Amino acid sequence: MSFSIKSDVKDAPESGKVATIYLEGELDSLSARLFQKEIEKVAIESPKDLVLDMEKLTFMASAGLRVLIFSKQKIGPSLNIFLVKPQQPIVDTLEHTGLLHSVTVVEKYPA
Amino acid sequence: MNSKTFPGTVESIDLIRHYISEIAQSAGLDKKSSYNLKLAADEIATNIVLYGYEEPGLEGNIEVLDEQTEEALTVIFEDTSAPFDPLARELPDEEDLTKPLEERQIGGLGIFLTVKGVDDFSYERVGEKNRNIFKMLKGRVS
Repeated sequence: MSFSIKSDVKDAPESGKVATIYLEGELDSLSARLFQKEIEKVAIESPKDLVLDMEKLTFMASAGLRVLIFSKQKIGPSLNIFLVKPQQPIVDTLEHTGLLHSVTVVEKYPA
Repeated sequence: MNSKTFPGTVESIDLIRHYISEIAQSAGLDKKSSYNLKLAADEIATNIVLYGYEEPGLEGNIEVLDEQTEEALTVIFEDTSAPFDPLARELPDEEDLTKPLEERQIGGLGIFLTVKGVDDFSYERVGEKNRNIFKMLKGRVS
């Protein structure tokens, strides 16, 4: 299955910790399990910003949406979620499900 | 009517998705419609595998049928798990969809995306089989 994920957490002195997760390939119900594990891993660091690099993510099923919801519920309502360069069909999915206004779509992070 | 059979296991979900992409391409669907059909098929195949077969510990197949006319592409998934009508469940409504993430219920989004993404989605139980039917109109201006 073509899916890969990696993450890092960096300390930003002024703004708190920033967790970045790079998603590549197709995010379906199976790969969403890996995504959720990665969220659980970075959640330990209590990041203030969660940055999801989606430039190379070509597909996202509802299981991926559920992990987005999970991340906010796990890390806390003050978490800011940034999506870097999501592809149009994924933006459409987020829009149809009303999740788009809970995240910030950016060209790059930090802006 | 073409037909291809996949074992009802998690490994098949990815394969079914790619098979659907091929069907969509050969039917000449545009990019957006192809993606939406692939998404709908993924959601339904996932439900069949995880809740129809895996959870109760059953073995079975998903048979993918497709038929094209000049106007439409119809894809049908047949499986032999317990009767399950995806449309019987209440879909998230406008109020649910505007709730902030932290208050969101986690279920129901897959079926919602399925119904929203295809031109027509229907379900029927015929004999021992569930039939999930996806219809995409061709030549839509998008």
